[in-house]
Amino acid sequence: MHLFHFREAWRSFTAHSGLSLTAVFSLAAALTLSALFLLVSWNANQALRAMADRREMVVYLQDDVSDSDVQALQEKIGELYGETTYVSRDQAWEEFSQQIGDAELLRAVDTNPLPASLRVKLKPELQNFVSMEESANQIGKMPGVETVRFGGEWVRRLDAVDASARRAAFAVGLVVAIAIVFVVHNTMRLTVLARRHQVEIMMRLGASDRFIAMPYLIEAILQALVAALIALGLVFGLQRLLSSHMEGLVFLPWTWALAFVGGSILLAWLVSSVALTRVLRSAGA
Amino acid sequence: MISFEHVTKRYGERLALDDVTWRMDEGELVCILGHSAAGKTTLLRLIMHETQPTSGNVTVGTFRGRLSRSHRALLRRKLGIVYEDFRLLPDRSVFENVALAVRIDGHFHDSEVIPRTLRALQEVGLHSKQTLLPGELSFGERQRCAIARAIVNRPALILADEPTGALEPRSASEVLELLKRVHREGAALVVGTTRPDVAAVVGGRQLLLVEGRLSEAADADTGDAEPFLSIPGTAPEGA
Repeated sequence: MHLFHFREAWRSFTAHSGLSLTAVFSLAAALTLSALFLLVSWNANQALRAMADRREMVVYLQDDVSDSDVQALQEKIGELYGETTYVSRDQAWEEFSQQIGDAELLRAVDTNPLPASLRVKLKPELQNFVSMEESANQIGKMPGVETVRFGGEWVRRLDAVDASARRAAFAVGLVVAIAIVFVVHNTMRLTVLARRHQVEIMMRLGASDRFIAMPYLIEAILQALVAALIALGLVFGLQRLLSSHMEGLVFLPWTWALAFVGGSILLAWLVSSVALTRVLRSAGA
Repeated sequence: MISFEHVTKRYGERLALDDVTWRMDEGELVCILGHSAAGKTTLLRLIMHETQPTSGNVTVGTFRGRLSRSHRALLRRKLGIVYEDFRLLPDRSVFENVALAVRIDGHFHDSEVIPRTLRALQEVGLHSKQTLLPGELSFGERQRCAIARAIVNRPALILADEPTGALEPRSASEVLELLKRVHREGAALVVGTTRPDVAAVVGGRQLLLVEGRLSEAADADTGDAEPFLSIPGTAPEGA
């Protein structure tokens, strides 16, 4: 690739500025939609993750379990399912008291009815309904365990929301990708057709397809780059605008932004290559 | 260098070339004379592999038969082609039009493009007009620019399809003289023309193309031609 190809790309961009700007704005519109959805996905993902962090399992222990049995149980559960925290009967009563807050009501209870428990912070791979249910069943059969609770219905709903968000992200991604393919393909076809005379002359002079295509590919990549930056800029502006009203709304991490720009460029390059191959073959000569 | 073996070319029902067989050696000068629609352009397009014969074989150097796109491009990079309508890029300067051929050739470093291009422009006398656009040149100058583009890579074979068709007599004679000079410096030259007087000035081996059939002219000296090019120094070779 020579400087010559970049000059040609710039010449083509400026010579057909109307077409080029239309392409940039069409791409920017499609990419803004995509970036907007990425922003929503990222923030939803963060929220789900925060909720997932609070997913824990409570293993209630039998009253007659010995300290050594608790120790053994803690080690085994810790190894297989996740980090455990022991909550003694007294600690449980203390927490309960703080939550209730009504001293008179608490005085009405003669003895501490609460069992000791192990709070299990599950490993990430177990933080879904099926795994949690299976883990609860397995732990429930261990000696010294009275019962296991993990808020099954809540976890099931959270998983359903997560799955829906992923499906929606895929669907929007697909629609945007199709839009980009459509815009880039047609822009490329129109650009080459507008310069058909030049392309034919270059073919007659013996220019290879690669030589002819290179400036157009560079132009498509530049258009995708500018459009992706516009899209990110618009979404960043929107995020700043909304963040004062929506607590916790954050912009995409730089790795996602970079992947977004890179993905846009890659897609534009791939579609342009296919479009150019087809258009140049039909140009004949 | 060029060989046609029983080449026939049809465009639908129309017969453009009818069982043409001829060959041309390296460094040779061949002038193909024929009236309009006699098949000259088809013959030149077959050499450039812009079209394929309906039957028969066309060989140009080591290129034979149906070529892939990349081989077709490679063949054309080894030819210099001059068209009646110049085929210059209107939005590029004279210099850029000629330099484009050097860049397409791909054998030269960026630093070699400028001197090579300037040398070619010097040869055709357009050195001082290198920054002008083709639209700012006379027709004769445009054709000289096209010739500079054709010779800039020093091809072994130059094809000129009616190179003086759009030119007035003085420019025509200058262009023909230029083509002949390029030939004298070693390049093989094929000129297609409808005009016997042009053929007479070009000289070389004369072939007649009549309704798609090619034959050697009995006498290369087309003495019955109208004295169209009467500018000193442009008389037919051997006259």
